[in-house]
Amino acid sequence: MNVSFRALPAAWDPRRVWRELGYALVSLPMAAAGLAYLLLLVATGLSAATVAGVPMLAVGVLGARRLGAADRRLARALLRMRVAEPPPFRPRPGLAGWLGSALGDAVAWRAVAYRLAKVPAAILACATAVGLWGGGPILLACPAWWAGSWAQGLAMSAAGAALLLLAPWAVHLALAPERLLVRTLLGQSGAAARISELETTRAQAVAESAATLRGIERDLHDGTQAHLVALAMGLSMAKEELAEAGGDERLDRTRHLVGVAHRNAKQALAELRDLLTGIHPAALDQGLETALGTLAAGSALPVALRVDLADRPPAAVETIAYFCTAELLANAARHSGARRAAIELASHGDGLRLRVRDDGAGGAAMGRGTGLRGLADRVRVVDGTLEIDSPPGGPTVVTVNLPARA
Amino acid sequence: MRIVIAEDAAVIRDGLALLLTGKGHEVAAAVGDAAALCAAVAEHRPDVAVVDIRMPPTHTDEGLRAAIRLRGEHPGLGVLVFSQHIETRYAAELLAGGSHGVGYLLKDRVAEVSEFLDALARIAAGETVLDPEVVTQIMGASRRAEDLRELTDRERGVLALMAEGRSNAAIASALFLSYGSVEKHVTQIFAKLGLPPSRGDHRRVLAVLRYLEP
Repeated sequence: MNVSFRALPAAWDPRRVWRELGYALVSLPMAAAGLAYLLLLVATGLSAATVAGVPMLAVGVLGARRLGAADRRLARALLRMRVAEPPPFRPRPGLAGWLGSALGDAVAWRAVAYRLAKVPAAILACATAVGLWGGGPILLACPAWWAGSWAQGLAMSAAGAALLLLAPWAVHLALAPERLLVRTLLGQSGAAARISELETTRAQAVAESAATLRGIERDLHDGTQAHLVALAMGLSMAKEELAEAGGDERLDRTRHLVGVAHRNAKQALAELRDLLTGIHPAALDQGLETALGTLAAGSALPVALRVDLADRPPAAVETIAYFCTAELLANAARHSGARRAAIELASHGDGLRLRVRDDGAGGAAMGRGTGLRGLADRVRVVDGTLEIDSPPGGPTVVTVNLPARA
Repeated sequence: MRIVIAEDAAVIRDGLALLLTGKGHEVAAAVGDAAALCAAVAEHRPDVAVVDIRMPPTHTDEGLRAAIRLRGEHPGLGVLVFSQHIETRYAAELLAGGSHGVGYLLKDRVAEVSEFLDALARIAAGETVLDPEVVTQIMGASRRAEDLRELTDRERGVLALMAEGRSNAAIASALFLSYGSVEKHVTQIFAKLGLPPSRGDHRRVLAVLRYLEP
């Protein structure tokens, strides 16, 4: 038999009643344990005056984070709360960095605050639960043990029944402070939530703009470029016809006009091709290795290429890697007087690392017309980094790190 | 000459057909994809097939694959492939199956019909034709850049024209030299680069390209 509980008002949904009751009962012992932990933390904090105290405090603070995570899971399971995970703990490198990160971790300190604030909230919830769920049945069964008059017994029984009826709703209300605390102290802070949202929308914007550009390139290639080729061909044929047509003055003018039109068409074709290569090179569709190979082949310098990628990065990252390589190779050929160059592309961590070396005169830096500033900005949009190692006298090595997710 | 055209952009396909029939050639078929190309060649037995490298369905290199296969199946067939962008690998792949009657041009080259028709005639005659832009890029990217610097400017120019598949006579008229001095330059170049003497004009393209891109 499948009884639907949806007919009942939400407060009396038996599943929710049990869950919330469970949470309310459990929250008091948990708060007590948490308080004990806090006292331990305070004691450690006092001893932080000694050198040993500081690391112990850091560990303690991080432990509060862990406890907070457990509370969050419990709240998700029993109270059906949707609380976002705060950012994970990412310590800075080195011992001092780790200590500093731990002691300065806002998430951990908020978890500590939760431990403290939970105590009164848990007392309220537990007291309400015990009072109503415990007191209700006791009063209801009053006639069985009430030594006084029948009327009083019945009244108390009725009161007991009323308490029982109210109990689910009251417990739910009494848990409101708990819910508030979990939401404000154990979830993401406003800033972290905003950052997370910004990261998502930025990644979408980057992917969308890359897709738009590819679409433009495709349309221009398939439509406009084909028409220009046909146009240039037609004008060339007209020129041929006119060449055989004799020496009339009007024909001469026509020859001239057609000649100019033909030159313009060829010019447009060449410019369109360069423009399209600047938007999205065709070779990139077949992967970075092929595209960089084409760049290397087309460069004025001999270029050694080594590519070692585990898997194909997203299209936006490939495009940025390609254009960085193009710009860096052009710089090497133009500015440094180098005689050879080398490109290395490899997976690195969960992203990729691109290195362009040349044996030129060195002295490359941001600004000074090298376009490196623009490259660095472009790379930063996807959280990448660009480092220049270019002592005067050379050689120059530019390293670009790009994450695998755009 | 009987010709089959394979080009997926209708504007260019029709333009080519118009151009070729205007010059008295027979356009036996004008198709838009590789499968139709193979069928048309089998049916009409043309002298030359003019093939766009990028065609449906994947728009990568279907035309090139088809062209290489067709050269294997029809030994007398001349093949001229086009691409929009320079891809030096295509030249190498195309010539891997032999250099007799094969050519690779950029699409821009049809903008000068006289050059295009000249290339077509040379291919039908069994020569090799490589677009000058492709040769420039191959020479520029070559690992032999050091050795190429040993050549004089004039010799480098002759080498480039050899790589394009030009005969000595054609080189002589292109560079305004006498036939004799071209022959001398060619001998000098082969000696300096350590290449064996060539047996025929189109075979030496292979030798030069193999040298430039080992």
